Amino acid sequence: MINEIRNKVKELLETKRVECVIGYERATDNLTARPVFIYEPSQVDRLIFDETCVHNLSKYLLNRKDKPTGIVTKPCDSRGINLLLNESQLHRENLFIIGVVCSGVKKVRFNRIEDSLPTKCQYCPQHTPPLYDFLIGEPVTETSPRNYADVIKIEEMTSKERKMFWSGHFDRCIRCYGCRQACVGCYCYECFVDELDPLWVGIRIAPDENWVWNIGRAFHLSARCIACNECERVCPVNIPLMLINRKLEKDTLRLFEFEPGVNAEVIPPFATFKKEENLGVSE
Amino acid sequence: MVTANPFIPYSATLIKVTDLTPDIKLHNLQLNDSALQDKFDYKPGQFAFLSAYGVGEAPFGFVSLAYQESGIEFAVRRIGTVTRALHELEPGAKIGVRGPFGNHFPLEDYKGKNILIIGGGIGMAPLRPVINFILDHRDDYGDLLIINGARTPKDLVFTNEFDTWSKAPRTRLELTVDRSDNKWQGRVALVPEVVKELKPSPVNTIAITCGPPIMIRFVLVRLKELKFANEQIVTTLEQKMKCGMGKCARCNVGDKYVCQDGPVFTFDQISKFLEQY
Amino acid sequence: MKVITKGNLLSWLRQLSQKYTVIAPVTSAEVTLYEPVSNSEIEKINLNFPNTDLSPKNWFFPPSETLFTIVKNEIPKIIPASAGHEAVLFGLHPCDAKGIALIDKAFLAEPADVFYKEKRDKTTLVGLACSTPCLECFCTSVNGGPADPTHLDILLTETTEERYIMYIVTERGGQLLTDAPMQEAEVTSPVPPILNIVPTEGITEIMPRVFNDSYWDRVADRCIHCNICAYVCPCCYCFDIRDYVSKEKIERVRSWESCQSPGFSRIAGGYDPRSTKGTRLRQRWYHKLLYFPERFGDVKCTGCGRCVRSCPVNIDIREIITDVQRMRA
Repeated sequence: MINEIRNKVKELLETKRVECVIGYERATDNLTARPVFIYEPSQVDRLIFDETCVHNLSKYLLNRKDKPTGIVTKPCDSRGINLLLNESQLHRENLFIIGVVCSGVKKVRFNRIEDSLPTKCQYCPQHTPPLYDFLIGEPVTETSPRNYADVIKIEEMTSKERKMFWSGHFDRCIRCYGCRQACVGCYCYECFVDELDPLWVGIRIAPDENWVWNIGRAFHLSARCIACNECERVCPVNIPLMLINRKLEKDTLRLFEFEPGVNAEVIPPFATFKKEENLGVSE
Repeated sequence: MVTANPFIPYSATLIKVTDLTPDIKLHNLQLNDSALQDKFDYKPGQFAFLSAYGVGEAPFGFVSLAYQESGIEFAVRRIGTVTRALHELEPGAKIGVRGPFGNHFPLEDYKGKNILIIGGGIGMAPLRPVINFILDHRDDYGDLLIINGARTPKDLVFTNEFDTWSKAPRTRLELTVDRSDNKWQGRVALVPEVVKELKPSPVNTIAITCGPPIMIRFVLVRLKELKFANEQIVTTLEQKMKCGMGKCARCNVGDKYVCQDGPVFTFDQISKFLEQY
Repeated sequence: MKVITKGNLLSWLRQLSQKYTVIAPVTSAEVTLYEPVSNSEIEKINLNFPNTDLSPKNWFFPPSETLFTIVKNEIPKIIPASAGHEAVLFGLHPCDAKGIALIDKAFLAEPADVFYKEKRDKTTLVGLACSTPCLECFCTSVNGGPADPTHLDILLTETTEERYIMYIVTERGGQLLTDAPMQEAEVTSPVPPILNIVPTEGITEIMPRVFNDSYWDRVADRCIHCNICAYVCPCCYCFDIRDYVSKEKIERVRSWESCQSPGFSRIAGGYDPRSTKGTRLRQRWYHKLLYFPERFGDVKCTGCGRCVRSCPVNIDIREIITDVQRMRA
């Protein structure tokens, strides 16, 4: 599989179809992976692809909007590219997407590979990338049924229990904004948390502000989060962020029958208004 | 001079506000504690933080001279949240002052030398007390050439002092604008071009320049063409600042903290990292 | 030498917690952090950790801190924030103690940061020597060591039989131990572990020569500019200051920030000397390996390895140092 990827990347660079290909290489711990930017055909042997390749590389495309770029994607990552295309953040003609059929990645931290699946793989709905120019691996057409067992467990808590649960986690938040920086859907030039005038959250790192930050960000991602798990993976204090995102994903599915990132063409629910949505306003 | 807690500003009151240009005001204020006001000392080149309570603080260079006893003056250009709030203050309003911080122009060392002042826009502000100090101690210094430029005629600052400056002995004032208006009769040229045109001699001269980064860069090129040595070119830099005392690690140009090693620098001190400016 | 059993150590801490605030490593949600531990919570202290996820600098330099409050009335009256009270910071490794000493160089330099200084003056540091270093640690390459007592008041070293050798480093440490249930015993001091070497020799001299290299842009390609590396680091200390307004008062608050966040050095009007990713990334390494040592004499890194573990894209200071050495050759 890796030779197929390397050969394709070499071809793309040699024919100058792209200036750069974003993929994965081995990290300094010799165990896990890290993003790599390949500019020269001679460098393609650095590329790897295995179950330690957990990163979502699609966000890097935002730094290279006008430059022809190739990218190696898993299904969840290419949903991210669909999201960006849908929101007119990328030019399709500048992209060459090498999609890889994926059977899941491992839960990794530096120097440690846990023998368990991250949340996104536990509940992964599709193993074939929805968007690609070149496919590596045999396409898998079956999709797994949706499963929200982890969200239902929290929904079944009382309001007070839920508040305690989340306070216990948000109290640890140090507002590093790793979640925001790693998220493909968070690309506002000025994030609401950095706005001074009006001041929504500000810089204070304290429980109240942490609630507004985490919940505010989650809401800004409703019907947009493509469940790549990056926010949860990068969090240095282990806040289970995917629980919130998946709750909103579950609600969006129920209310609007909408799955983000599956199709770059469909208009997302929060970017449109339908008359049938009776607001009680007279004609 | 700093309080026991260097993060706490002195309470001050705004005495007078003068419009210098459409977006620059001259704020004149006094410390509420009169004993503190008498002792408050600062030199040209240093800066202080002005607090618009509830909005924030920003650093401004002193534009007055401490010994003149006419109040502490700052030139404030309205460009962001804090400066907008400062512009809305009227005489009598409460304001905070934290400082003085930074180093100052070593005017003692420049005695006997010719001084070349090159200022652009709001960059003239920290140079104004240098000019006034030299004029107060005229015999200690050689020839004084002032090049003062701005984007348009109405953006020239300290216009009410031009007369005093140009009429002082062995002093020459050259004005210029980037773009003229209907009434302007003077020179229309970018400040670095005026430096090239006037060809000031580097012999026994110190050149002090302040203005937008791009102007400083090109003035530097012109001065080097005229054979000014790096140690003869002095500038005052501006960077984003928060603490003003070398703690928040934000304002550095290379290894120099603008708030402690500066804001006054000679070119040879910063040339290595100037591309970062 | 003076020795204490684990049981007695905990009961001594319990006793101390009645008079002092005891801050010690506690694990919850799979994360180990330094937290204040009350009398009844002493059992929660975790003494078997390779290293904590956040450093103990939080105690002296909290993520957010009110500098002063102005109660809104006719004449703004500034009420300074009150600082700390007597405390014992327990269980920190020598690398973290060195981290605090490095922050001291910046924060205690004239004019001293009053908030930091008060907490520093009132806190005793009781450290724990490392028996098993992390795979990423390299303290011996940056003038440190797994059993280095230098910046501590007391150093505990665990021996094989769940006993700790208590080495009293300073007078302050000695005073804290006045009633501690220690015994005299002859115990073999365990051999400190050997760590991997990182080629830091002469790094401060080499850094100026590679300032303009495109290497920094290439590394910055994958940097996502979160603040994680600076926040987990025991010796990073950049901060932001802003005013907060409520109905009755205005508070000036200082909070952590890092040189990696976009807009860190952007001034009103939009000019930003470090607007590109490469320049921001370069600023971090130059501050650690050139600007700080030139100013204060010591490289601003304790070799704790936290940034290496926490960086989402594996930007590894050990690799950077090795690459820089290779670039100058």
